[in-house]
Amino acid sequence: MMHSYLVFLLSGRLFGVRLHGAIEILPWRSSRSVPLSYSSVEGLIDYRGTIYPVFNIGRRLGMSGPGPVAGAPVQVETARSIILLEENKMLFGITVDSVVKMTKLEEPSAPPEKVQGMETKYFQGVVYDEDQEILILDFERLLHAG
Amino acid sequence: MDERTRFLILSLEGETYAVPISRLLEITVPRNIQKDPNLTELFEGKFEFRGKLIPVLNIKKVLKLPGSIGTTLLVVKSGKGTLGVLVDAVTEILDTDQKPVPMPKGVINPSMQYYSGILRHKDNLVLLLNGDGLLP
Repeated sequence: MMHSYLVFLLSGRLFGVRLHGAIEILPWRSSRSVPLSYSSVEGLIDYRGTIYPVFNIGRRLGMSGPGPVAGAPVQVETARSIILLEENKMLFGITVDSVVKMTKLEEPSAPPEKVQGMETKYFQGVVYDEDQEILILDFERLLHAG
Repeated sequence: MDERTRFLILSLEGETYAVPISRLLEITVPRNIQKDPNLTELFEGKFEFRGKLIPVLNIKKVLKLPGSIGTTLLVVKSGKGTLGVLVDAVTEILDTDQKPVPMPKGVINPSMQYYSGILRHKDNLVLLLNGDGLLP
């Protein structure tokens, strides 16, 4: 069974998210920070009358690499995008380095036990597409882990 | 008719926050703040207001914001009595029929009741401070 996925790059790795409904891809914009929020929260953005929380999933996955590093040149941020998604009636955004494509992929197989430097419990599985490994994210776990 | 509410817009480290005007008793300059060893480190001391000593909260410490102590003192009614709150500046009064938008899920631990919602103002999102939830 094939499903639609959005594939994006984050710190040089390919990730996929299964598409259930409409999505929006926005150029990078600054978000309103919320003091004392969870560490993976980038902030809030107001887009077309809805306030979305924006999550820095790279931070949640324990990845370093390009991102809002203190003292980094501003160009790093302008290269990024925000993807707005809906999962289980929850509307939210995630920050990515760049969007690669929308595509149909097979069901993911179980994720490798270890993916270098990352928390694998946040993956539904892995899919190979044209010999490239795409890690499929499990938002249910990503967003409720606090 | 839609019900209108007035909010005081204030700033902390360059970001805007709001408190309902109905909670505000006075805006003043902090002076003669007396140290009180019985207060936690979140407080700068006590301040005489209308013949009574009230605790003065350094809200930047509560919200874990960097920067120096605010130079404007708000006197507000909180659920736990009258309280002084140090902020960087007050910018304006927002008279609006907006209902504050609840904080989306997954942003902050629900036990941390520091915000009672979000307001829109001049292309910005303003965090509405919860006067009753600020005190530890």
